[in-house]
Amino acid sequence: MRGEAVEVRIADTSVRAFADESIAAALVASGAHVLSRSLKYHRPRTFFCLEGHCSGCLVRIGGVPNLRACQAPCLAGTEVMGQNAFPSAEVDLLGAVDFVFSRGLDHHTLMTGSSMLNRLANKVVRQLSGLGKLPDVAASQHPEVQRYDVDVCVIGGGPAGLEAANQVARAGRSTVVVDDQLRPGGSLRTDPRAGRALAEATWRAATSAGAAVLSRSTAIGFFPEDDGGVLAVAAPDRLYRIYAKQWIWATGGYAANLPFPDNDRPGVIAARAVGRLLVDHGILAGDRVCVIEVPRMVDAASALAAGLVEAGAEVHRVALDRVEGVRGRSWTSAVDTADGKYDCDLVAVAAIPAPASEGARQQGCQVVLDPTVGGFKIVVDDLGRTSTPNVWACGDVCGYLGPAASAADGARVGANVAAS
Amino acid sequence: MTLSDLEHSVSRGYQDIEEVKRYTGFGTGPCQGKECLALVASELARLTGQPPSTIKPFTSRPPLAPTPLRLLARDPGAHRFDDDREDG
Repeated sequence: MRGEAVEVRIADTSVRAFADESIAAALVASGAHVLSRSLKYHRPRTFFCLEGHCSGCLVRIGGVPNLRACQAPCLAGTEVMGQNAFPSAEVDLLGAVDFVFSRGLDHHTLMTGSSMLNRLANKVVRQLSGLGKLPDVAASQHPEVQRYDVDVCVIGGGPAGLEAANQVARAGRSTVVVDDQLRPGGSLRTDPRAGRALAEATWRAATSAGAAVLSRSTAIGFFPEDDGGVLAVAAPDRLYRIYAKQWIWATGGYAANLPFPDNDRPGVIAARAVGRLLVDHGILAGDRVCVIEVPRMVDAASALAAGLVEAGAEVHRVALDRVEGVRGRSWTSAVDTADGKYDCDLVAVAAIPAPASEGARQQGCQVVLDPTVGGFKIVVDDLGRTSTPNVWACGDVCGYLGPAASAADGARVGANVAAS
Repeated sequence: MTLSDLEHSVSRGYQDIEEVKRYTGFGTGPCQGKECLALVASELARLTGQPPSTIKPFTSRPPLAPTPLRLLARDPGAHRFDDDREDG
């Protein structure tokens, strides 16, 4: 499943990786732990979401800082370094900030008693904070700008977006799908009930219907003042300007964390990321996995647990309200629960994904906070119309549904768009 | 951003998302709130007793994801600083 073997260099060590996977997947498989440090308290950081949305896996790749290890493919000879720590991400002397200010650091009142001390404090803080160091060399490429004029633009290439695109493209509408991941498929690639084959089939079906599907292409903003509205989309080598008559937001949800003590320790990662490694890459990220879950995610957690057990792991499931803490400094070693200690080498957090609605908000779409479905969901009517004319939404971005129900919702709303 | 950072902020009287963002800096890191906005909003509703439906997210601004400036350099719509110079 892991494709053709290549060598990449990670912090001056040669690691065997596979051409078809992300650098993050290669790092997990090779046993790498801490990648970077947090901005303020310099706490150890590593992967959390593996979907390009968290800030856990920022690394320096080929001399360029602040790149997400999970969204960079493994190319032969790629050089990867940790960042934001001295002397290294594993051993960071600046981590002292977290001990010195163990009760929290309020920069509004930090050394404000004396103006001289305050100037000194500001100097020190400016040295400590910030992200990465400048690139080794100036950018040599001159990126292209490419314009798309289409009937329908679908934002998000997961189950909802691909099914919606399939419907509108089949009805003869020119359709473009923008997806920010290395390959389309979204949550289908994270759930043992769906899987890689279904992701590929859903992607192929949308393409066969006539939709153009752009990968590694991130919607970065909607600008209403430009020719009736343009969606700016950033890809590694170019900028797309997309003009569309109808828009469908199918951006799904972000893998979220849950509020429990020590939830930011390395080794506490999103259940969906554990699922992605297993389902999409064939990598078992832990031998003893503790799944922390909330009632709404019991089905997804059961499916993941079954997949992990089948792959040979031991799995212990615990409800969020029983969790008392996580042990282990550089990597998780145990979870303390109200029912006792559970030794583990991975903690998988099954939280309700948080609707990725901020792009739609730039088009004026109304959202409402609904913690029962993950966060700020887009408000839609029975047909899937948002509060903005010609803007539709479907799938998890309207409140968590899960992969299968999202696919059905995408097909339904896509048919409504085609009939409009 | 820790739970105690949020509790501290609420105790100082900063009780809506925009105020908490300005006071704590949450939502201003590389993920721009993708990891934390929904969680902070839900915890804020719990801590202050406000109904969730009354809590608004902070303003969404481009870019939605970290974007290298070089991508914008060749855009025909990009504003050129030279255009402002009177001597061309």
